[in-house]
Amino acid sequence: MKLVIGGAFQGKFNFVKKQFPDVKEWLDGYTCSRREIFACKGMVHFHDFIKRELREGRGAEGLAEEIIEKNPDIIIVSNELGYGVVPVDPFDRKYREAVGRTCEKLAAFSEEVYRVVCGIGTAIKKKEA
Amino acid sequence: MLHLITGGSGSGKSRYAEGEILKLGPGRRIYIATMYPYDEESRQRIARHRAMRAEKNFETIECYTALNQRDFPEGANILLECMSNLVANEMFRPEGARLHTVEAVLRGAWLLKDLAANLVIVTNEIFSDGAEYDSSTRVYQEYLGTINQEIARWADRVTEVVCGIPIALKGGDLE
Repeated sequence: MKLVIGGAFQGKFNFVKKQFPDVKEWLDGYTCSRREIFACKGMVHFHDFIKRELREGRGAEGLAEEIIEKNPDIIIVSNELGYGVVPVDPFDRKYREAVGRTCEKLAAFSEEVYRVVCGIGTAIKKKEA
Repeated sequence: MLHLITGGSGSGKSRYAEGEILKLGPGRRIYIATMYPYDEESRQRIARHRAMRAEKNFETIECYTALNQRDFPEGANILLECMSNLVANEMFRPEGARLHTVEAVLRGAWLLKDLAANLVIVTNEIFSDGAEYDSSTRVYQEYLGTINQEIARWADRVTEVVCGIPIALKGGDLE
């Protein structure tokens, strides 16, 4: 598994397209189904998938574990949401927390984690092969 | 040399950026200030910063919009601070470039890069927040993010400052 995180508008998608040219199609968390995540090679907007799950009354509990079990080689791209002031809106707080906790579990399992700032990806975790 | 410096609010990126200009030696130092003096508080803040920089032999040039239409001296070591103010001014001030903000700012930055001996640009990390913003704020993030990526592509060095600690993202300590 590989995880790529970073703020909004940092060029994460351009970075993964260059870094992982073998992935021809990227699933979009803004529109995809849960089932598709377990069958894809790579997905972007992972945070948007979590937001949709929460909006529809499903929690994000167990999501990281299920991805790790069913699609351990996936490449996941997510926004980093945790660097601001605690949001006033309870849903925003729940969403931010869910994305953070899920990415934390995915990062622990991933052999590579990248953080993208100003279009530049830096490996913040890389297991020796 | 072009050096892009980013970081969160209060991260010490300004101090680091000034230090980077001082390290370049005694050449002419220009500070391009982009913060518009909206009120008494900002005027006081600007005056204090100006006095601090005068001791370090910076000449201050105020530029709130239209960077590309101003005359700057050639061959100086220039510090532009801060990209986030410049982009906000271009987007929201009446004389700003509005929909053409990205183009206007990048043109100005390219011009500066050509005429400066060394150019240090300070920008701001405002992209890793969990709140839902209104659409104009999202567009502001998109414009600033796009500009940061493009300038990072041109830059010889890109540094993120965290708690006053510089982390090299491109060039610098990486080489």
